[in-house]
Amino acid sequence: MTALETTTVGSFPKPDYLLSARAKASKGVVKPAALRELEEQATSEWLRFQEDVGLDVLVDGEQYRGDMATYFAENLEGMEVSGLVRSYGNRYYKKPVIVGELRRARPVSVEWFRFAQERTEKSVKGMITGPYTMMDWSFDEHYGSRTEAALAFARLLHDEARDLEAAGAKIIQVDEPALSARSDELPLVVKAVGLVTKGLEAKTVLHTCYGNYEDIYPYFNRLPVDQLDLEMSNSSLDLLDRFRRDPLKKEIAFGVLDVHSHVIETRAQVVDRIEKALSLFDPQKLVIDPDCGLKTRTVDEAKAKLEVMVHATRAVKSEHGLA
Amino acid sequence: MVRTTVVGTYPRIGDTSEEQVLRRAIARFDKDEASEADVRAAEREVVKDVLREQAAAHVDVVTDGQVSWYDSQSHIARGLAGVEIGGLVRYFDTNTYYRQPIVTGPVTWKGPILVDEGQFAQGASKAPVKAVLTGPVTLANLALDRHYGKTRALAAAFAEALAEDIAALRTAGVQHIQVDEPILTRRPEDLSLVADTLGTLAARKGSAELTLATYFGDVATIYRGLLKLPVDVLGLDLVQGSKTWAQIERHGADGPLSLGIVDARNTKLEDPKALAARVLELRERVDLDHAYLSPSNGLEFLPRERARQKLAVLAEAARCVGGGA
Repeated sequence: MTALETTTVGSFPKPDYLLSARAKASKGVVKPAALRELEEQATSEWLRFQEDVGLDVLVDGEQYRGDMATYFAENLEGMEVSGLVRSYGNRYYKKPVIVGELRRARPVSVEWFRFAQERTEKSVKGMITGPYTMMDWSFDEHYGSRTEAALAFARLLHDEARDLEAAGAKIIQVDEPALSARSDELPLVVKAVGLVTKGLEAKTVLHTCYGNYEDIYPYFNRLPVDQLDLEMSNSSLDLLDRFRRDPLKKEIAFGVLDVHSHVIETRAQVVDRIEKALSLFDPQKLVIDPDCGLKTRTVDEAKAKLEVMVHATRAVKSEHGLA
Repeated sequence: MVRTTVVGTYPRIGDTSEEQVLRRAIARFDKDEASEADVRAAEREVVKDVLREQAAAHVDVVTDGQVSWYDSQSHIARGLAGVEIGGLVRYFDTNTYYRQPIVTGPVTWKGPILVDEGQFAQGASKAPVKAVLTGPVTLANLALDRHYGKTRALAAAFAEALAEDIAALRTAGVQHIQVDEPILTRRPEDLSLVADTLGTLAARKGSAELTLATYFGDVATIYRGLLKLPVDVLGLDLVQGSKTWAQIERHGADGPLSLGIVDARNTKLEDPKALAARVLELRERVDLDHAYLSPSNGLEFLPRERARQKLAVLAEAARCVGGGA
């Protein structure tokens, strides 16, 4: 890995033309093929932006996904999608419902990974919604056991990871925002994520956010992945003290942008956050990225934030003489 | 005849366009296309709908669904001096989030927080409307404390401030007040702190019926201690907190319980007769004529349509209990 590699967490906001087309598609006014064309257009635009701004590791931007869990649910057997439930504030999503035995009839995310990777020389991350989060974020009308449901997801998501790897993914990210939901279930998270990543040659990343990290910290080094991707800025970098006491033994992707604020960080703010991270982590093991997916921001806000992030990272690299 | 109640929150939007008034109003407000008054008006329309849906299920003691609450913590906290509102933090084991209160100075009551919304809801409901407050110990545990240094001191300060709001609710004629302390399902060791702070709150409640609500888990290890608290009704989550059933069976209850028997975290619909049969197993240990049946926690974790169906399950279970089968 190069020093202070830059990347993003996965999602980007959808441009207005795609939002409008998705709304019409949900009413049957826009045909699936026409929607697909616009999703490809938006994906290509985001890939171009990421290259132009100079990010090192790219994502497909998830222009084809509504919610991260719901997207997988829509593409797995044994699942349905419920009515709208609230996430926070004015944000709602259609929550998955497990209604039968879970099965993956075909790859879920591989086609979009291929689409993105074919359009860039840089590495594109394969993105999987993690087994624990899929379980925790689904209503369960079938298994009646959180462990059974999580492990059922893990088994089929391992197949998904294998298929991403076969399609050329050098980095596979498992999103587990629900990681900190129940501290007594952290052994289940370790087991389920371990089933997904077992035997993979690709670099594995686990992304999590918005949790009480104090309780889950002892598990960080036990998570069976190469890199932890953590939201840091939303919580004012509170975790740094803990890292100082108990060093992390993995690579870290360090969130330097608060994705839930409309305010564009200044370069000085982001430089300061990176400098604080550098005071603790080896630059070869430190990745710079936003706290979380940027889909809740406007297109302009997301771009402006990422420009600041890349420029701030360059400034720090130059200051420290890092290649 | 067993009564029914709800624990607080209710889905504020549904899947139909008519049920998304509030979502649209807030989206317009965010784009500077609507005023705060427009959002308040939309909230009040939704409160009326929420009250209508509870009335349709014959819920005996209703709430306004906490429709105007941004989240479980910041709604109360932003009404207090000495508290700022920070970043998003996951709310217990739910996949919802709250803006974390940050305590930066002495916590004091600035003025009524819940009175306006309580009065509006009561004016739109024939059934008594219960006011819901986040409990001081839960607030203290979930906040980021940069001033007091000790949870006990912070909880006591929150209690003093919330007691003023309870007094204001009483003056406004509110008859039912619920204090939520879900933290007890995670930190049973905080029981004595809850006892102390409830003392502060109960001293100002007048003749209102005061309920302590616990949810998101069991309180089996502290059940007997909970029975001694200075409250009129003890609310229990008997779904996620199913371990508490055995304690009720063993120790009974002298005072009224609110039995959270309908799963408010899962869409799977229960058989009302089976629920009623379980409740009737308690009839030698619990005075069911003074008990409530309720969902296990607030209903907002469910889609609106399913929340309505869960209320129907609740009503039917209560009817079966009343019929003795």
